[in-house]
Amino acid sequence: MLAQVLVSSATAGAVYALIALGFVLIHKGTGVVHFGYGDQVMFGAYLVLIGRVMLGLSFWPATVCALLASALLGALIYGGFMWPLRNASLLARIIASLALGTVLREFVRAYMGPNAWPFPFLLSPTAVPVAGVLLVPANLAIIGVSFGVLGLLFLMFEKTIYGKAIIAACDNQIGAGIVGVRVSYVFLAIWILASVLATLAGILVAPLLTLSPDMGLIGIKGFTAAILGGFSSLTGAVLGGISLGILEALPGTYISSALKDMISYSILILVILIRPQGLMGALMIRKV
Amino acid sequence: MIARFLIYGVGIAAFLAAPHLFAEYHLFQFCLIAATALVVLGLVVVTGLAGQISLAQAAFVGLGGYGPAILATSWGVPLWAAIPLMALGVGAAGFVLGQMTLRISGHYLALATMAFTAIVQLSFIHSDPVTGGAAGMPVPPLRLLGVTLSNGGQLYYVILPTTVLLFVLVRNVLQSRFGRALTAIRQSETAAEAMGLNVLRYKAAAFASSGFLGAIGGALLSLLSTYLDPGQFGITQSVYFLAIAVVGGMTSPLGAVIGSAMFILIPDFLQSFQSYLGLVFALLLLGFIVLRPNGLAAMGPRLVEWVSHRHRVVRR
Repeated sequence: MLAQVLVSSATAGAVYALIALGFVLIHKGTGVVHFGYGDQVMFGAYLVLIGRVMLGLSFWPATVCALLASALLGALIYGGFMWPLRNASLLARIIASLALGTVLREFVRAYMGPNAWPFPFLLSPTAVPVAGVLLVPANLAIIGVSFGVLGLLFLMFEKTIYGKAIIAACDNQIGAGIVGVRVSYVFLAIWILASVLATLAGILVAPLLTLSPDMGLIGIKGFTAAILGGFSSLTGAVLGGISLGILEALPGTYISSALKDMISYSILILVILIRPQGLMGALMIRKV
Repeated sequence: MIARFLIYGVGIAAFLAAPHLFAEYHLFQFCLIAATALVVLGLVVVTGLAGQISLAQAAFVGLGGYGPAILATSWGVPLWAAIPLMALGVGAAGFVLGQMTLRISGHYLALATMAFTAIVQLSFIHSDPVTGGAAGMPVPPLRLLGVTLSNGGQLYYVILPTTVLLFVLVRNVLQSRFGRALTAIRQSETAAEAMGLNVLRYKAAAFASSGFLGAIGGALLSLLSTYLDPGQFGITQSVYFLAIAVVGGMTSPLGAVIGSAMFILIPDFLQSFQSYLGLVFALLLLGFIVLRPNGLAAMGPRLVEWVSHRHRVVRR
């Protein structure tokens, strides 16, 4: 039973990790916590749907188009809103990111209707018993794709000059600028990358949840995962996502499924209050 | 002095004349604007003036609506007593929530208040025996001095005076030491603390007043809608109240009224575009926060200044 719960929760955990990674990228790089990120996840899944229903594409071409479109969206968000607001107050930037999410959600509600849409699984959703544990190929595909993407990202940050430029700009904007990194380009790249990640997470998670305009609420789970991991470390985000998946699955199975979401939110508040630096982050001292 | 009495006189005359001049539907709209303005006024105090972002307003509104309805149906407490009682309770909850601001601010505060709203909404949905669960519950009508007030035309006589009274109260408090302390905290917490202000107490008090105002507004809204649907007290609704505050103008109580009037009246003009309403509101919020972050209320004085300046130039 426990093994089964752990295997099932890894699916949710992998998706939370992807979303948390997007949050952390944007926050670490540009200093904005993007409150509309969950809605971008939802919008990404709808982009595939729009490609299939409106343009009549099949699944894979629609997915490629959706990823390209979301890259464009990321560039638009940065150029249209975050760049002009770079010197605005924190309050204004928080509200702007909330507003961006609301615009995406209401756009989808107005044009695609408020009802849920069916969304195809990547592999068959029927369970196969392996050594006493039921494995679902579709869920394994989600875990596989998530970890594949996470691996690619780590390779990029560790081995390529572009990844190193992003890390440099995240750590110290002025220093990175002095050694020749175009910081504004790096920010643009971060927004594009994070938007593509959001769409990917949306495509993976849409068949598990029902695809409706309110699916963006999954963003809060991503926040929780990111905060568990400390909100500034990429490894932390991945660990936070997986631990959140397990943490909410255990009481969900053993006590009551209604408790599942409440537990996520309570973890969010508790971690913020008790360990704002996350489970593994170092304490940052704010200077006056 | 005479001018002030004249304004009061005109105000009272307008209040008494309105029921004879407008149809019941319009009086209902006035009540809706007034109740929403109270909710948004809470947000003006805590976010606009004290600078603490709060996404808990929908939870306060929900508690203010559910509390009296449950007290009245299960315990037989009359609504006129249950509403202020519950509002005081929600104010106390707001004070406790405000204690969080000792440790957190900015993004983290937004996240924590967001999670608070989500938890409150989930507890409405999952406490079926008391709250009716996901289906919601009806609100009993308000009985006052043996008269049952059920429609907008009758509730008008309760809601409008309550709103005006609370607005005057809040305005006066904000012009006192309390309001100046909040402004000081918004501009620099460190400086305010160095001047000897107990910053945490003021921030918690701002949260408490936003809870109290949100709960009163929520109770009045529930009397108008006569039904409580837990779907209406989520994070989305908190953002909706924030949108009203931003569009109206977050730094003055007047902004709460202007924003509420706009958001309640726009659907009337866009009746054939009902499904686009949410998009229109979201775009308004985005447009205002990027281009006019101080809202409509701040545009009035600037317009007057600009016109008088033009006038002077022309005369010269």
